[in-house]
Amino acid sequence: MANSYLTSESKKLATWYFTFAAIIFGAQLLFGLVAAIQYVESSFLFEVLDFSVARMLHINALVVWMVFAMFGSVYWLLPDETGIETVGIGLGKLLFWIFAAAIVVVVLVYLFIQVGPANETSIWFIHEGREYIEAPRWADYGITVVALGFVANLYMTGMKGKQSGVVTVLMADMIAFAGLYLTGMFYTDNITIDQFWWWWVIHLWVEATWEVFVGSIAAYGLITMIGAHRKVVEMWLWIEVTMLFGSGILGIGHHYFWIGTPEYWWEIGALFSALEPLPLVAMFIHVLYDWGKMQGEQDAQGKEMSVITNKPAFTWFVLNAFGNFLGAGIWGFFHTLPQVNLYTHGTQFTSAHGHLAFFGAYATILVGMMYIGVQGKNGIKILNNTTSTIFATSMIVGGVLGMTVALTVAGYSDVIISRAQMGATWEGYFSAQTTTWLLQGMYWRLIMGAVTFIGFLFLVKDLLTIGKAANHVR
Amino acid sequence: MVQDVLVAQDILVDDFLTIFVSSTLVLVFGGFYVGIYTAVKVNMLKKWYMPLGYLFWALTAYCLYLMGSLMHVNDFTAKALIVAAIGLLLIPHAVYYMQDRVHEDNEH
Repeated sequence: MANSYLTSESKKLATWYFTFAAIIFGAQLLFGLVAAIQYVESSFLFEVLDFSVARMLHINALVVWMVFAMFGSVYWLLPDETGIETVGIGLGKLLFWIFAAAIVVVVLVYLFIQVGPANETSIWFIHEGREYIEAPRWADYGITVVALGFVANLYMTGMKGKQSGVVTVLMADMIAFAGLYLTGMFYTDNITIDQFWWWWVIHLWVEATWEVFVGSIAAYGLITMIGAHRKVVEMWLWIEVTMLFGSGILGIGHHYFWIGTPEYWWEIGALFSALEPLPLVAMFIHVLYDWGKMQGEQDAQGKEMSVITNKPAFTWFVLNAFGNFLGAGIWGFFHTLPQVNLYTHGTQFTSAHGHLAFFGAYATILVGMMYIGVQGKNGIKILNNTTSTIFATSMIVGGVLGMTVALTVAGYSDVIISRAQMGATWEGYFSAQTTTWLLQGMYWRLIMGAVTFIGFLFLVKDLLTIGKAANHVR
Repeated sequence: MVQDVLVAQDILVDDFLTIFVSSTLVLVFGGFYVGIYTAVKVNMLKKWYMPLGYLFWALTAYCLYLMGSLMHVNDFTAKALIVAAIGLLLIPHAVYYMQDRVHEDNEH
């Protein structure tokens, strides 16, 4: 797509990030499909692309595309929020290419080398074996440099230009986001200590810094898409930050129940996990409130039209409010207390929660940002839905919800058989894996995964062509 | 509720479904409460819906109680659940109050 309507270099760079993120998003879904097929047909690609490799690619691609889309979102909003061009944009572009090249090399190594000997060479050049963040150490250092460069650009721009609440929150959040990655970079031969620090990356990313990032992006979206009052939105953003960090940081306790850490984490984990849904409820109210208020003001003026200037993006933002509440809230809450987590951890319940939470809390809002990018790139004042938008949205949402329900059903039989009835034994594990409910759940997961992938193809088509549709206001 | 033991492997097999359903309903009913409260306040729903909203909060609190009882949570966790229920009751009021004040300051 041509950049003819974009005059800001920062926004152009953002579209690069969005494009690369969309490619990796596709790879994530593709490797997820491979892994889903292997669950029901275990000989599929056996010794070519084993389940362990397909799964590793699936979940690492998830993290990478989201990080790319997050960086892109920040580069997109910086000129709007600060009133100036992003400082150090040349460095930003160079770092984009370094980051993208590093990811391509890492993926090729995962695909074609896959595993190595149990020594330092594998940790440095193949992968570290830490779920979600398996990048080899050379790539870890590269990612750290890229993240520091990104944070430097954000800080230099934030300090030089107008200091909006959205950018100030992002500045605080992104330094934590980058810094926390360091805690997943060192190796210890004690699995408890290793897991303790590893959760600092995983939990404190997804249940603290990423959620705050979502709050900031939602604030930006409400201001730009429905004209919500900045003062209201930013006031609310600070409340969200307080609530999210207040409950989310010590919510890490729910990951420390069974890894060999002291028992007081049960108390801490139970208390803060019980509180964690509250900010999600609050974020949900916020979007509804601002939407209702702004539409009400418009209606009071006798203008019978929607206040929304980007309907596809706003749809994804609303889906984010619901999805965050459903995936992170409901599917998280029902197995977060230690008394029940004793039975559910590591079962398909975790997988159900993971699928809906990552999608609902993060994928939705990042896809929304991609539509904001498309709108800006094509110089459109009001972006309306197309048939592809509707197909993409309904198939992706329906597919992910379907996968979640299928995995929940599978998870339930997993919990009952392998844990409650057979006491977490080796025999119990295999009995659960062969039960009809779990097997049928896995078939449905595969079918709904295919629906999601077809929806993704519609999404790509829509992002590439929606700008040319005739039903927009230009 | 169990007094001394925080985590005991004593959930009955028949209770798991009730636990999962009730813990899901905690947030489903909570969502209805918050949604109705907000919708009434921004005039998307008529005022007489508000008692229905509070009824959903009462159902939320009951589900929390049921879930906690069947899980045999200890006293500490029971208190945490009570705090969460009260928090859910108060948060929409606090949020609406703050949003409304800021809107007033901003618009007048």
